[in-house]
Amino acid sequence: MNDVVIELDRVGVAFSSQRSIGGSRYWALEDVSLRLRRGERLGVIGRNGAGKSTLLRVLAGILVPDRGAIRRGGVSCQLMSLALGFVPHLSGRDNAILSGLLLGLRRRDIVSRLPAIRDFSELGDFFEQPIATYSAGMNLRLAFSVAIQVEPDVLLIDEVLSVGDAEFQEKSGAALRARMGEGHTVVLVSHDEKQIADRCDRVLWIEHGRSVLEGPRDEVFEAYHRDLHHPPEAA
Amino acid sequence: MRLHLVELVLFSTYAELRAEAARSYLGLIWWVLEPAMMMGAFWLVFDVILKTGGPDYVPFLLIGMTLWQWMKSCITHGGYAIWGSLPMVRQVRLPPLVFPLIAMLSDTVKFACIFVLLVAILWALGYPPNAAYWALPIVFAAIFLAAAGAGFVISALVPLVPDLRFVIEQVLMVVMFLSGVIFPLDKVPEHLRWVMALNPVAVVMDDARGILLHGQLPNWTGLSKVALISVVLCVVGLLFVQRLAPRFPKLAS
Repeated sequence: MNDVVIELDRVGVAFSSQRSIGGSRYWALEDVSLRLRRGERLGVIGRNGAGKSTLLRVLAGILVPDRGAIRRGGVSCQLMSLALGFVPHLSGRDNAILSGLLLGLRRRDIVSRLPAIRDFSELGDFFEQPIATYSAGMNLRLAFSVAIQVEPDVLLIDEVLSVGDAEFQEKSGAALRARMGEGHTVVLVSHDEKQIADRCDRVLWIEHGRSVLEGPRDEVFEAYHRDLHHPPEAA
Repeated sequence: MRLHLVELVLFSTYAELRAEAARSYLGLIWWVLEPAMMMGAFWLVFDVILKTGGPDYVPFLLIGMTLWQWMKSCITHGGYAIWGSLPMVRQVRLPPLVFPLIAMLSDTVKFACIFVLLVAILWALGYPPNAAYWALPIVFAAIFLAAAGAGFVISALVPLVPDLRFVIEQVLMVVMFLSGVIFPLDKVPEHLRWVMALNPVAVVMDDARGILLHGQLPNWTGLSKVALISVVLCVVGLLFVQRLAPRFPKLAS
């Protein structure tokens, strides 16, 4: 269980601050290193703007690092996106297929899972109606039901964990926990420490686009809390 | 992987057409009604009022506008597709080329519907289908290649410089007037004719009209030149998209 699926070596990602000639650049990610092993559940913590979401998009292969190196061993990585590509005037069924295709599923795989999506979303006959007629809650239920079908080698999650009303929150949370417990490799980004503490075995702490510490959960949390209460002078 | 992308493009095309039909009251009828209204306007101005049209002006205009609308929508819709999909580009890893392809495919489906109607109207006007029709797919392929090439190049640049959109609309209008879409180019002075012969849009317009109205096969040399230019344009466009792809997810729309 020690094979590395993705390795980041001092990765940095720069964005242009504005769209105009000669606009300056800023580094959303300055210097982050991490090693993700198969079957590992890695949590990423850090304050707002630390670069957590940017890091996730690098792991997903959406952003290409501007410096440093990324090595991945032939694995599929997918960012769990809710309601990706949803079109208001199409039925729940068509949107489920569309979103599934965008998330990297083959058409026959989605079609075979449509009954499961329909059941899980509890939409009943509304599944065949345009999603423009849905309430916000129904939309989220459909979105989650589709997203949970995607089974990449490495699942990347950016704070999507519970959606909908209290009952569906419970259900979606349970489905996600089940997914994370199946031995999948997962990277979870959140500023909610409790979620990370509950679900991850290793933690990466990043601050201002730099990795501060990566290691076993309790160790990193301890250091993180020490820092929160006694921040270093020059942050 | 490849097959998955084909499925994605096809289903997205279906979804886009379906959603477009559902968005308006009259739905699919607009695919035909909108170009028909535009043709009516041009007929009024150029034939009734200015009297620049000849005896065959109505079929001339119908063919020109039908083909031009298809080209123009492939170029603009395809050209703006990546820019319009930036929110998605930021969330999921996909070859950016799928977005212009989806736009161009749905415009081509719409064109196919309008073209069937065009053939029926031409027949009613006294131009029945003829033996030269077999060459139409070749001319259409050349048209699609040209439009796709221009669309790919634009699609790579517009996300970086959205201001280009304002220029593109104007340039396309000039191209339309210089390509014999609305009025014939026989008023062009002799010493400028060679410039017109290099305009790929003018060449395909002539070829299509030759087939549909006179049963005349295209000038193959001219058409091959157009196809060659179009293929080069496509390759340039593909290279642009590929080269600039890493920058798209970082852009704000």
